[in-house]
Amino acid sequence: MTFILEIKRSSGLRFRRVLNETPVSVLRLPRGPEPNSRGFDPTSPRFIALCPTTLPSSSSSSGSADEEEQRLRAELRERFLRTLLLMTGKRVRFDMHEHVRVHARFGASDIDVLNLQVCDLETPLGVQREALLRSQDVIACSFEV
Amino acid sequence: MAMRQTPLTCSGHTRPVVDLAFSGITPYGYFLISACKDGKPMLRQGDTGDWIGTFLGHKGAVWGATLNKEATKAATAAADFTAKVWDAVTGDEVLTLAHKHIVKSVNFTEDSTCLLTGGNDKVLRIYDLGKPEAEPLEIAGHTSAIKKALWCNNDQQILSAADDRTVRLWDKNTKEAVKTLAFDASVSSMEYIPDGEILVITYGRTIAFYNANSLDLIKAVDAPASIHSASLHPEKDFFVAGGDDFKLYKYDYTTKEEMESYKGHFGPIHCVRFSPDGELYASGSEDGTLRLWQTAVGKTYGLWKCVLPENLDGKYNTAI
Repeated sequence: MTFILEIKRSSGLRFRRVLNETPVSVLRLPRGPEPNSRGFDPTSPRFIALCPTTLPSSSSSSGSADEEEQRLRAELRERFLRTLLLMTGKRVRFDMHEHVRVHARFGASDIDVLNLQVCDLETPLGVQREALLRSQDVIACSFEV
Repeated sequence: MAMRQTPLTCSGHTRPVVDLAFSGITPYGYFLISACKDGKPMLRQGDTGDWIGTFLGHKGAVWGATLNKEATKAATAAADFTAKVWDAVTGDEVLTLAHKHIVKSVNFTEDSTCLLTGGNDKVLRIYDLGKPEAEPLEIAGHTSAIKKALWCNNDQQILSAADDRTVRLWDKNTKEAVKTLAFDASVSSMEYIPDGEILVITYGRTIAFYNANSLDLIKAVDAPASIHSASLHPEKDFFVAGGDDFKLYKYDYTTKEEMESYKGHFGPIHCVRFSPDGELYASGSEDGTLRLWQTAVGKTYGLWKCVLPENLDGKYNTAI
């Protein structure tokens, strides 16, 4: 984009400068994070080249130990999800950071368990009919089975 | 034809970006890590700003982040009272180092075998990453929270800046403070340039340059607004600074003259760093974004493309 330089001499230097400057072109914008993935593409050249020789992680490299760990993780995950299901509709006590302890009726959690939907949340300011609790603020929840 | 700077905005964070660091130049380019109050530090390709991955695991705001030279390891310091070491290729968490208070700063040695941490418990700690269960070496002395801790002088000494308004130079072996610099205001940032042994310190509106061995003042420049972070170009011809007024300032290091100022961020700038090749600088802001800025505006580099004017005879005319 270019402009006619026939502008009044009395215009400020700043005005002339804005007209004369062309913004630098860009090929595209930087790519942002993928919504459902933490990234670190295993098919990237760097991953393929460096992965076997990067830092040893704490888990062992033998196949059976990995499988056992996987099995235990799956079991724990299933237990956690079943607990969430069992909690639905019940009055739950949430122990949170900064010594906060509140009671509420648990509704549901979102898919990533980032937020917990509750009703009748008892707070020092009164009872909140509907609320969302941030999971990362919750240390523990307890309820009567 | 004069070119106007087009900053590249890297989105993805949901809270203020408080720290950022570049790796060295690797066979796969160079990389950038950003620390954010949303607790999710991100790794990006340094020259394009493309997101590579997010390090998931911290349970609080991440105040400091760093990469080793080869960009194979990352370290982060967080409000959940831990510093974590990560595999920067796979994104996996490798180590969690428990502290007694908020951790603010992390720094690898050149050979990536040791990690220096500092934070609100006022103690500098040195962890041997080959023996993570071993107790860290501790260096006490600061009377307030430590904001930044850096290795210097071939990893034999440590520079630390704290809220007690001092910058101290420590000997790693004797654990004694070799030198102390006192300021009238809190030091907002510190950068160490190994090549040339220069220390860049910002406090109030001032950007000051010190000799990293003697802590003698080389020069100081005052900016129009309170500055939170500054960075010196690898070739030491420019430096950039950003702070409270949301603008980025570019100065000539030799003459100390302000060359340019750039608007773009929608909040105070918390951190700014030159890339290892000096072709761009990155800024992190309260507005939750990182922006990449060209050092030589108009040059073809990364995602920026130099477009030649259609008319080369020097006269301006309207586009039809």
